Amino acid sequence: MDAQLLIPGVIFGLSIGAIFFLMAIGLSLCFGLMRIISLDQLLYYSIGAYLTYTVSLATGSVWLGMLAGVAVAGVASLVVERVVFLRIYERELTFSMITSFGILIGGIGVIKYFWGVVPRPVAIPTLTQVDIAGTEVPVYRLMVIGIAAVVYAGIWVFLNGTIIGKAIGAGIENVEHVEGLGINVSRLFTITFVIAGTLSGLAGGLHAPLIMVDPQMGLEVLAFVFMVVIIGGLGSIKGTLVSAFIVGQVVSLGSLVYAPLAQMAPFAIMLLILLIKPTGLYGSALLKR
Amino acid sequence: MMNAWRWWWGILLAFSLLALARAVVPLPFVIEVLIFSIYTMGCNFLLGRVGFISFGQPAYLAAGAYGTAFYLFYFGTNPYIGILAGIVSGLAVAGIVGPLFVRLRSDYFALVNLALAVIMYYLMQKVLAGITRGDNGLWFLTRLSSTPVLDISRPGQFFIFALLVALAVWVLYKYLDDSIYGACCLATKINEDKLEFIGYSNYKVRLAAFLIANTTTALAGAMYAVYLGFVSPEITSPHRAPDPVVVTILGGTGTLYGPIVGAIAYTGMKDVISKMIGNWELFIGFLLVFIMLAGEKGIWGTLQPRLEKLLSARKARTAAGEVAEARR
Repeated sequence: MDAQLLIPGVIFGLSIGAIFFLMAIGLSLCFGLMRIISLDQLLYYSIGAYLTYTVSLATGSVWLGMLAGVAVAGVASLVVERVVFLRIYERELTFSMITSFGILIGGIGVIKYFWGVVPRPVAIPTLTQVDIAGTEVPVYRLMVIGIAAVVYAGIWVFLNGTIIGKAIGAGIENVEHVEGLGINVSRLFTITFVIAGTLSGLAGGLHAPLIMVDPQMGLEVLAFVFMVVIIGGLGSIKGTLVSAFIVGQVVSLGSLVYAPLAQMAPFAIMLLILLIKPTGLYGSALLKR
Repeated sequence: MMNAWRWWWGILLAFSLLALARAVVPLPFVIEVLIFSIYTMGCNFLLGRVGFISFGQPAYLAAGAYGTAFYLFYFGTNPYIGILAGIVSGLAVAGIVGPLFVRLRSDYFALVNLALAVIMYYLMQKVLAGITRGDNGLWFLTRLSSTPVLDISRPGQFFIFALLVALAVWVLYKYLDDSIYGACCLATKINEDKLEFIGYSNYKVRLAAFLIANTTTALAGAMYAVYLGFVSPEITSPHRAPDPVVVTILGGTGTLYGPIVGAIAYTGMKDVISKMIGNWELFIGFLLVFIMLAGEKGIWGTLQPRLEKLLSARKARTAAGEVAEARR
C-alpha cells in the first residue's frame, strides 16, 4: 500500500475514531458513575445531526448548526434524565438498557415525524485541502480530530482539576462514600448525563457533513460505538480513547484492503479481546455493584 | 391423575383457545402469534430464569431463517428438512459464540449480543450479498414441495403444525422449569457463588441455557421462513432487536404463560395501531418506557396473583359449603 492511499486512510480512520470516541465517552461515563447503559446517547447523536442540518440550512453556517445541535442534545438529555432516568438509577443495569432502548426507538419515531425518512445531505463547512507529505487531505477531517483531542483534554482537566470532576471520579470508584461525604450524588448524576448527551450531540453534528443524515443513523453507528466501549472496557476514559483509535483505524484501513470486511473486522477484534480479557482492555473487574 | 390434570389444564386451555381462535380471528394473525410466542419463549427463559438480557435475539432468529432459506433455495424442497436445517444452523451459531459470550458479565453480554445482531445484519445485507441476494431477499415459496402427513406448505395445515410445535416448546420449558436444571438456572441468576459451592459449574449451566434458548429462537426463525416463503436481512434489523424483550416484559418475565399473553397483546396492538397510525416506532418506544416505569411485572405477572386469589377464594367457598353440608 503506497503513501498516497495510506495517509488519507489514517486521517480518515482518526476522524471516524474521533467521532466514535465522542459518543463512547458518554456511554462509558454513564456506566462508570451511574451503572446504567444509556443507549439513548445514540438519539442525542441523531438530534445533533438533524439540528445541524436544519439550522445550517436556515442560517447558512454549519458551525452555528452544530452549536444548536449540541445545545438541543444537551437539553434533551437533561429532560430525559429528569423524567425517566431519575426513577431507574436504583434498579438493575438491564433495566436501564431496556428503558433507554425504548427512548431511542421512540425518539427515532419523533425524528421521522418531524423530518421524514428521506436522507438529507449537510454541507461541509470547509472544502479546503491541505498538503501532507505530498497527499491532499481535507481540512475538515483534521478539524474533527482536533475537536476530539480538545474534548479529551477538557474531560481530563474537568475530572482532575475541578471539585465536581473529582467527585465524579471518586463516584466511579465508590458512589456510597461520595454520598457519605455529603455530596449531592443526584446532581452529580444529572451533570454527568448532560455532559454525555452533549458530547453525543457534538459527535452527531461533526459527523453530519461526512455522511447523509437519516433517522436510522443512530442505529448504524450503534454497533461500532458498542465495540469501542466493549474493547476499551466500560467506565474507563483512557480505554475508550485507545479503543476508539483502534476501531477507527481498523474500519478505515480495513476498507482499503477489502471493503465489506471492514465492518466485520472490529467485531473479530472485539471477540479476540473478550476472549483474552472479558472486561475489555482497561475495564476493572471490580465494577460490579 | 389429579396432579397431572392441574399441571396441564392451563396450557391445554390456552392452546385450545388458540385453536378455537382460528375460527374467529384471521389465520395470519394466529400464526404470527404462535411463531412470536415461540420466539419469545427463548428470550423469556434467558431473561427470567438465567438473568441474561439478550438484545441479540434477532441474530439467532436470522441464523435459523437463513439456514432454512439456504436449504430451500439452493438444495432441497422439503420444508421439514428446511426447518431442521434452520435449527442446526441456529445451534451452530449459538455454539460458536456461546462459549465466549456466557463468560461475560450481564452488562457486557447485553452489549455484545446487540453488536452481534447488527453484524449479522451487515453480513446478510452486504458481505454475503452474493449468496443472500442482499436486500432483495431469498424467495422460495413456490419451491416448497407438499409433504405427506401434514402439508405445511399450505397455511391451514401450517397452523396445526405451528400449534403443535408451540405446544411442544412450551412443554419443554415447563419441564425445564420444574427440573433440577431449572433450579440451577435460577440459582445462577440469584447467587452464583452458592451454586458453585454446591458443586455445579455456572459456566455449564449458562452455556446449556444459552444453547437451548437460542435454538428455540432459531426454530422460530425457521418457521417464519417456511411460513412467509421469503427471508430478507430485515429479519435481523436492529430495530427489531428489542421486540422479544418487549414482549417478554409485556407478558411477564419468567412466567410460563407470559410469552403467549405478550405475543397476543403485542401482535394485536401492532395490527391495530399500524392500521391507525404509520409511526409504529414512536409507539413501541414509549410503550416500552411506560411498561418499565409503570410496573415490570407485565400483563400475566399482574393477572396471575389475582386469578389465583379468585380460584382459591372459590375453593374456600366450596370447601366451606361441603363442611356445612356434612354438618347438616
